[in-house]
Amino acid sequence: MSWITIVWSMNAAACLTLASIFFVAWCKQRESWVHLIFSCIALAAAAIAVFELQLIHADTPQEYGAILRWRYVPVWALVVSLVGFTRLYLRAGRSWLAWSACGLKTLTLILNFISTPNVHYREITALRQLSWGGEMASVPLGTPNHWSLVNQVTLLLLLAFFIDATIIVWRRGDRQRALLVGGSIIFFGVIVAAQVMLVVWGVIQVPFVSSFAYLGIVAALGYQLCDDTVRAAQLARKLDASQAALLKTERDLEIAASAVGLALWAWDVAHDEVWLSNQARALYGFSPSEKLNTQRIRRVVHPEDREVVRKAVENSLQTGAENPAEYRVVLPDGRIRWVARRSRTEFDSNGNAIWMHGVLFDVTERRLAEERFRLVVDAAPAAMIMANKEGRMTLVNKRAETLFGYKRDELIGQPVEMLVPERFRSHYVSFREGYFGDAQARPMGAGRELFGQCKDGSEVPIEIGLNPVHTSEGLCVLASIIDISERKQAELEAARQRHELAHLLRVTMLGELSGSLAHELNQPLTAILSNAQAAQKLLAGDAVDVSELREILAEIVDEDKHAGEVIQRLRVLFRKGEVGHHFGNLDISQIVQDVLKLMRNDLVIHDVTVQTELAENLPAVQGDRVELQQVLLNLMLNGCEAMADCDSSERQLLITSGMENGAVRVSVTDRGGSIPEERMERVFEPFFTTKANGMGLGLSVCHNIVKAHRGNIWVTNNAEGGATFHFSLPARSQAQKNNT
Amino acid sequence: MAVPPSPTVFVVDDEAPVRRALSRMLRANRFAVATFASSKEFLGQYDPDASGCLVLDIMMPGNGLELQRVLQKKGCTLPIIFLTGYGDVSKSVQALKGGAIDFLTKPVNDQSLLRAVRAAIEKNRVTRQEQTQVSEICSRLATLTPRERQVLEHIVSGELNKQIAGHLGITQRTVKAHRARLMAKMKVDSVAKLVCLANRCGITGSSS
Repeated sequence: MSWITIVWSMNAAACLTLASIFFVAWCKQRESWVHLIFSCIALAAAAIAVFELQLIHADTPQEYGAILRWRYVPVWALVVSLVGFTRLYLRAGRSWLAWSACGLKTLTLILNFISTPNVHYREITALRQLSWGGEMASVPLGTPNHWSLVNQVTLLLLLAFFIDATIIVWRRGDRQRALLVGGSIIFFGVIVAAQVMLVVWGVIQVPFVSSFAYLGIVAALGYQLCDDTVRAAQLARKLDASQAALLKTERDLEIAASAVGLALWAWDVAHDEVWLSNQARALYGFSPSEKLNTQRIRRVVHPEDREVVRKAVENSLQTGAENPAEYRVVLPDGRIRWVARRSRTEFDSNGNAIWMHGVLFDVTERRLAEERFRLVVDAAPAAMIMANKEGRMTLVNKRAETLFGYKRDELIGQPVEMLVPERFRSHYVSFREGYFGDAQARPMGAGRELFGQCKDGSEVPIEIGLNPVHTSEGLCVLASIIDISERKQAELEAARQRHELAHLLRVTMLGELSGSLAHELNQPLTAILSNAQAAQKLLAGDAVDVSELREILAEIVDEDKHAGEVIQRLRVLFRKGEVGHHFGNLDISQIVQDVLKLMRNDLVIHDVTVQTELAENLPAVQGDRVELQQVLLNLMLNGCEAMADCDSSERQLLITSGMENGAVRVSVTDRGGSIPEERMERVFEPFFTTKANGMGLGLSVCHNIVKAHRGNIWVTNNAEGGATFHFSLPARSQAQKNNT
Repeated sequence: MAVPPSPTVFVVDDEAPVRRALSRMLRANRFAVATFASSKEFLGQYDPDASGCLVLDIMMPGNGLELQRVLQKKGCTLPIIFLTGYGDVSKSVQALKGGAIDFLTKPVNDQSLLRAVRAAIEKNRVTRQEQTQVSEICSRLATLTPRERQVLEHIVSGELNKQIAGHLGITQRTVKAHRARLMAKMKVDSVAKLVCLANRCGITGSSS
């Protein structure tokens, strides 16, 4: 085989090999059209090499012309492919140059097939056998076709296109590509064009060898592509490494994020692709592999909250603000999860949102806690109001709404003073300021009666417990408010009943005393009557002693007054105590004296002598005069009765008073029988009696009265026999202290 | 024998205005009045020969009924008029049983009280008169010899001379002599009168 055949075949084979390699590469990576185009270029170069070999071995001019005509097809394909390659690979070259060059090339191809034998020759007259390195090679002899000028123009256009493209790439800074791709195309292209022209015009007589120039182009392009591939591989490796690093970072981030309950997300706005960290996917109930977009996410958001989410996202897209929002997610199993979002938006240079990143966190617990808190607060039997340091309400529950008649919205943010009656407001404000100075859980008002002001203007008696609450907004005070109108009513009713019973007992007791009371009243009446009748008698006589009459009249007046006093005393005792009246300040010694006067005759009847040892200058007590008289009367009557069977000389009652532990004490000591130890506790119980016809109410009523006066009543046995009943009442100064 | 003092109304009441008023009213009606604040005071100045009556408040320190008992024990003949603030049945019964002349409720009308006081004074006068008579008879009795007294007792028992002589172991003549002397000493002229006097002095007859 001749060396020419071997060389041209090798040329073709090399090109074919490259073509097939890059074709396979294209097959594996369909989007890399550059590889396909290069494959076409290499294939065309291989075809050109084959045609050239045939031209060298052509025997007749006709055969030569035909081969040369067909050779133009791969040349055309190669040129068009090169233009495409340049445009695609270098992303350079003016498109009008490209299109016009390709158009002219195609026109040349058409002209090639119209002309005989081809576009280069009008006629091939003969073939000259040339000895070429020991081998014979055919060289055409003939007249050139003037249409080949079109081909020359095409070549010039192509040249311009490639130079232009190369310059652009060079200027872009990609010098290797400019040199290797642009430079080789220009260089070898010029060689090809020159050789073809010189041969056709008969300037030199050599066979066509342009396939080697094409091989050069193919080799240069192939090298560049290989270089690219190698770089790509290197990049891919680097990328792999960096991706691995990224993945690790991402995982670390996710671990860190999940540790604090954060889930990460990112949204490629342009492509509407949503990436969620595993934590976030778990939050939404998505599988780890599911592809996500906004629509998919929108579907799992609770229908009622979609608007909230939409607004937040839209706002983030427009302003880039974080737009925290909380919404519910419906999990695949139907459970509800509360999620909070927060985002950051990235914008491109035109201000369009391209990425949005953010975090999600599970706030279900908090929300449930809040809901539970709200439910608990709402279900609380007391009205609850939380107020901040400025006295503005930050929380109110349902009871508070119903108690004051306001809607929640009308109270939140408003000053608490609106719920305080006008006359207490100034006091309240100073109280609130004082409270924040020394905040601790305690009842408000301390003994004073408190009132709340309702929306309709009415006032309601209330009891308030205050608790300091340290919230994120600072120190607040939580007030639990109890409507005590019912309790007040009940207390009033109980007091009324107590008064009623006390009155009943008093009347009963006065019934017992009626004998001595009648006597008490009859004494002055007797004196009056007798005096008057004496006067009548004196006037009927002859000599009227005026001074005697004057005395009589004076005595009548005195005794009338005395009778009036007795009646007054009785009337007071018979009076029904007013419910809820205010206690007056009383001198306990005065009460003892009053009762002694009342009982004077009864004591005479019972032959009981009374001794008193009353302390002087005792502080006043607050109380109801009549009821305290009743207590003492009751104790003294009991004492008299206890001594009914005693010897006359033993019937002595001792009444003492004094101060004891800040209270005023009164004791009634008799010399009757002692009270058995086991009965000591029971004597004040209602219906407990040792008397044959007693109701057992006297002492229990005394007990009630003393308790209502915030005092104590008790009994002790005397060492020398008999019992002593004591009662003590808080002294006024102390009672006042309690009141403030 | 002491000259009986003029009847006095003794008023005992613990209340001075009442005492004064009652005293005034009684004095206006020409009664002598003495007032006392308590039983104790009255007993301290008690004169057994006093005549008149006692106006006593039942309800006073020392208790009116108690005073009544004490006076009774002392043989006081002063009739008692009780005054009371209100009618206590058991007390009034007790008082009347104890010999009270009346039981009046306060305020007492002057007529009621005066009527009671008058009645009481009259009663006291009669009692005192009777007491005087009895003491005179008793003094006559005291002049009798033991034998004459024995005879008197038998006469009061309604025995005949013969029976008396039999009982005493003396003759009928001796009995008759004693009897004559006895009648003279007692200043009576008939056996019926003698028996009456003896009865008043508590001699009811021989037990034998």
